Amino acid sequence: MSAGVALASLASLAPAGPSIPLQFADALIEFLSPTTLVDVILRGIAEASLYVMIAAGLTLVFGLMGVLNFAHGSLTMLGAYLGGLVLVVAVAQSTGGVGRLLAFGVAVVVAFGALAALGGGIEVGLVRPIYDRPPLYQILLTFGVTLVLDELARIVVLFYGLQPTTVWQDVLGTKPVVLAESVGAAGVSVSGLELFQILFGVATVVGVHLFLTRTRYGLYVRAGGEDSEMLSALGVDVNRVFTVVFALGTGIAGAAGVLLAWDPSWGASVPLAAETLLPAFVVVIVGGLGTFRGTVVAALIVGLVDSSMTWWFQNFVDFTGLPEMVVFLVLVITLIVKPQGLYGVSEVGGH
Amino acid sequence: MSSDAGPDSNSDASVDPSQDTGESAADQSSGDGPSSEERDEPLLSLSGVETYYGDSHVLEGVDLDVYEGEVVALMGRNGVGKTTTLRSVLQLTPPREGSVRYRGEELVGRDTHEVAARGLGWIPEDRRMFGQLTVEENVRVAVPDADDADAALELAFETFPDLRERREAKAGDLSGGQQQMLSIARGLVGDNDLLLVDEPSEGLAPLIVEAVAEALTEAASDTTMLLVEQNLPLALDVADRFYVLDHGTVVDEGDTDAVSAEGERLRRYLSA
Repeated sequence: MSAGVALASLASLAPAGPSIPLQFADALIEFLSPTTLVDVILRGIAEASLYVMIAAGLTLVFGLMGVLNFAHGSLTMLGAYLGGLVLVVAVAQSTGGVGRLLAFGVAVVVAFGALAALGGGIEVGLVRPIYDRPPLYQILLTFGVTLVLDELARIVVLFYGLQPTTVWQDVLGTKPVVLAESVGAAGVSVSGLELFQILFGVATVVGVHLFLTRTRYGLYVRAGGEDSEMLSALGVDVNRVFTVVFALGTGIAGAAGVLLAWDPSWGASVPLAAETLLPAFVVVIVGGLGTFRGTVVAALIVGLVDSSMTWWFQNFVDFTGLPEMVVFLVLVITLIVKPQGLYGVSEVGGH
Repeated sequence: MSSDAGPDSNSDASVDPSQDTGESAADQSSGDGPSSEERDEPLLSLSGVETYYGDSHVLEGVDLDVYEGEVVALMGRNGVGKTTTLRSVLQLTPPREGSVRYRGEELVGRDTHEVAARGLGWIPEDRRMFGQLTVEENVRVAVPDADDADAALELAFETFPDLRERREAKAGDLSGGQQQMLSIARGLVGDNDLLLVDEPSEGLAPLIVEAVAEALTEAASDTTMLLVEQNLPLALDVADRFYVLDHGTVVDEGDTDAVSAEGERLRRYLSA
């Protein structure tokens, strides 16, 4: 049914031409040409890398503690501003590419550290006292934290003479030239930024995977996600594991924010909080609440669907507003066909 | 705390006083273990433990002692508070009144992980496997010091060779018997001085029950155990002493040598 709706909307939006099927065939041939396909796939993977970074913390926290952290997007936004601040301070006009990348590394470390500390504080001070309450309490609490953080960010940003709702352009200006350019080979051109994002996303996935599978804490996280009471009866301080994971999750959100601050289609701004929270939720729910593997696969699916649809809407339908809707269509279809998500155990709301 | 169950039985007037025959009373006194004056301080001592689930008053003043090296069976019908007693010891369901002492130290008010770290292991009723983790990981998570993990795995696989073949399998994919073996193995490798074992034979095929009983007997040779078990012959076989719970209090206690699975003394508390 949804495919029918999509086709109908495609047909109604397509410009009047000789014949829609013919146009479609032309577009399909172009879409399937190696250069377009590689371009779309790389774009999709780059997008997936961002999604995975935005969603990783959310899924780790939900998987272990069953807490849906609505403040996650705001923490990403704070990371973007904080990392942006480091970049703006550290990078001068004359700073070379390597220097700018080094500054980015420092910004990531600062944002990760500061957000991890903030996340740890939020867990200990606010979330811990209400673990035993129904999930609604945690949702309301973290939603409240979002309102407070966003408002604080708005006040601070205004105080320093910046527009809270528009992207902080100075940060975009600290990007090294190499990331703003496209790298070309064999007819395929990829933007340096996309490659950088892919690199960062892969590093995050590998890092989190190694943490979960190779470290003792990772073992506790996986065990605690299944049965935290049993884990505590085995002598593990589950509260400390909760704090560490919450801090790690918010730290990754902060690092993701720094990466977004260099991307002109995101950028550091207060609305970034909501802009990142929605896709993060989509990815986490499609993948299955609390499974990191599901989050990675879902991020790839959403990224690739989005980049494909963006191409189609630009080249065939000639209307650029709709691709984002497709992301939510993925969510709706998942909820209908597989409510527990791709790899999830519990259904949404059933935790 | 006295090892005499008399006051408890009398205080709970609703517990079949009519059935308290002179014979069983005599059994009780003769069946008691050595009095506390004759023994060292108990390893675990509960006194006046009162535990609630919400408004539901489950334990209404439980007194019991477990001495180092012995296996104590905790018996009683379903719903009398056996599992709650174990949960109260571990502070999973902390008592509102009373005292739980381990090696003389008060456990009430401590976190569960602190209690467990003192050497108390739990082999829970419903096994509580980490189903998404492998057999090996389930064992590893129970070992306090990661350096001891290999030795712990070897101990687990020696005790239950079935598990060795399935070490890479997810615990959730094991049979009920294998899961129980893994649950016991997890308790054995945890460097525990006192094991709280809850219904280890429940729902298992007779052949598996034998393996489980063998493992428990083996474990009992160097570990103290508080064992909740409905399977009376198994309980009497493994345990040195017993307590019977009814309506949240101890109504009988004694040496397992002094009673039999067929005898009236235990039957009247255990049959529905």
